[in-house]
Amino acid sequence: MSFINYAQKMVRENIREYGMFIALFIIMMVFAITTNGLFISSRNLVNLVNQTGYIAVLAVGMTLVIVIRHIDLSVGFLAGFLGAVAAIAMVSWHLPVYVVIPMILILGIVAGLFTSFLVAQLGIPAFVATLAGWLGYRGALQLITISTGTIIIPNETFNAIGNGFIPDIPDIGILPGVHKLTLILGLLAITLFITNELITRRRMQKHNFEILPAGIFTLKLVFVSALIGGIAWILAGYQGLSWTAVVVLIVVILYDFITSKTVLGRHIYAVGGNPEAAELSGIRVKKITHVVFASMGMLSALSGILFAARLRSATTVAGTLFELDAIAAAFVGGVSAAGGVGKVMGSLIGALVMTSLTSGMNLMGIDISYQYIVRAGVLVAAVIFDVATRSQGK
Amino acid sequence: MKPIEEAIPVVEMRNIKKNFGAVQALRGIDLALHHNEVLGLVGDNAAGKSTLMKVLSGAYIPDEGEIFLEGKKAHLSNPMDARRQGIEMVYQDYALANNLDVAANVFLGREVVRIRLGPIGVMDHRHMEQETKSLLNRLKIDISSVRQKVERLSGGQRQAVAIARSTAFNAKVIIMDEPTAALSVAAIDKVLDLVRELKAQGSSIIIISHRLEDIYQVSDRMIVLRQGRKVSDTPVEGDIHEFRERVVAYMIGARDDFREKTVAG
Ligand SMILES: Nc1ncnc2c1ncn2[C@@H]1O[C@H](COP(=O)(O)OP(=O)(O)O)[C@@H](O)[C@H]1O
Ligand SMILES: [Mg+2]
Repeated sequence: MSFINYAQKMVRENIREYGMFIALFIIMMVFAITTNGLFISSRNLVNLVNQTGYIAVLAVGMTLVIVIRHIDLSVGFLAGFLGAVAAIAMVSWHLPVYVVIPMILILGIVAGLFTSFLVAQLGIPAFVATLAGWLGYRGALQLITISTGTIIIPNETFNAIGNGFIPDIPDIGILPGVHKLTLILGLLAITLFITNELITRRRMQKHNFEILPAGIFTLKLVFVSALIGGIAWILAGYQGLSWTAVVVLIVVILYDFITSKTVLGRHIYAVGGNPEAAELSGIRVKKITHVVFASMGMLSALSGILFAARLRSATTVAGTLFELDAIAAAFVGGVSAAGGVGKVMGSLIGALVMTSLTSGMNLMGIDISYQYIVRAGVLVAAVIFDVATRSQGK
Repeated sequence: MKPIEEAIPVVEMRNIKKNFGAVQALRGIDLALHHNEVLGLVGDNAAGKSTLMKVLSGAYIPDEGEIFLEGKKAHLSNPMDARRQGIEMVYQDYALANNLDVAANVFLGREVVRIRLGPIGVMDHRHMEQETKSLLNRLKIDISSVRQKVERLSGGQRQAVAIARSTAFNAKVIIMDEPTAALSVAAIDKVLDLVRELKAQGSSIIIISHRLEDIYQVSDRMIVLRQGRKVSDTPVEGDIHEFRERVVAYMIGARDDFREKTVAG
């Protein structure tokens, strides 16, 4: 097969995965032009990453929830509520930040297990159970902030999670004004990526598995390396890698590992693909449901922490519409509404798409009502794309 | 001379009874399957074939009766339990996860783990893919890549994967419920070839089919069920027309080899 043929076949078979990269690229280009380059300035892109953080972690959790054919509408106000609990714990109870963060994450897990109890044990549709959660957590958020209103968080360590940047190595005279540790980390990531790809390829070759043709393989290496390098360079031009970005990277890498390399991940996708077959194969569908909702609860807590830290405060409306952004991010990122299909990496890209839309339209001064309509359009387009590429694949 | 163990049936079901409310689905059925034998199970709709096999595969607990595996009394509390004891069932609707690839389906629920980090097991992809590859080769199953998603396979290929999966872990007995029901003629022939191949490699198989020619082609022996009772247990022989007439006579109740026994009991 010739290079061109092969490339065509690859694009056709992986259109769902490339689709969202193309979408992100187009959106960025459009905003770059309409804002006279403001959108792709280092400063705005760093902001964009930080704004994406609290949606991205939700989207990662939502990916798994949708993969096992459920939905979680409660994540936004759960995040808002737990963010407020974190603020109260620090401000009124004077708990140290190192106690507060684990405590909030555990509360998130408990909340997730409560949902999965309703869904898996009592058989209540997730849509209904989490709609109740949406109402309940919203009420709880208003209740605990009713006497104080917005709670200002004075703890700088906590706030750094949403606003701070990783420290740089001491200045050594070269590249002044550039965040060198960020560049070094970028180079490290590229090196790790390339060595990993080469080792895998050699091992595959040794055992006679199909591998990408050398041309495509090189292209892939160059493209991904350039992408990582480009992002590192842009971030380094401002203040470097933010703590939010670090948190998101850790979450995405961890979840990507679990979903693609572990038995647990395999079982999650099996449950999504065919719950009866999974059960007959000895996979406990209920257990998987508990794990997935518990993880969703924990990531909701993390989202609440990131958001409260970013605003340096807990507000009475924190978390409003986060669930819709997270669900939209997952669909834009290639998660299938039918279940069983979707990758956390994709949902990260999806989250970037959704936040880029918000950020770009804000920069352009577009009215919020139009913004909602545009985001609705993107969500519908993503699902239509999903349905269309699925039926074509058969 | 045959080794002694071969004289003991791989599976023996004795006097199995199962009611669903007022419906007497199984009314005291005896069934034996010998080593390296293909046993055909036939009967009209609702005769109790699927129920009997679900009892054997652990999906139903019988109201009465005993099951012996290689002469030892067995307790089968659920499908996974039965599977661990060497009873594999290929379900009518394949029971595969279409969103996963061939290797993932073959090893579903029995993934090979490379490293264990607490509750998290890291899979050995390479090992599972290689095992799947050689399994498909051994069974002469024509699938180009073990990394193909099952949703991209044809019906016949899916059935082949489901059957291959049932043989991957040294099963004592493989049960197939209507393995050809949803297939094209060409695909049916491939599945029947696969059954013969499994027999040639030493498997013991029970196959349910409403297509009598399938049973005729691959089975050594045949049991006919009618209204929850066994009415015939005979070797498959003679020409196909004579065979068909004989089976139909049992199926509609014109002949019954076990009537006396029921009346006496
Ligand atoms: N889960 C069940 N609940 C109630 N009745 C059942 C169930 N499974 C089977 N039956 C009844 O038992 C009888 C035998 O069914 P089955 O074993 O499926 O027959 P076959 O596979 O030979 O067509 C039928 O009357 C059927 O309606
Ligand atoms: Mg049946």
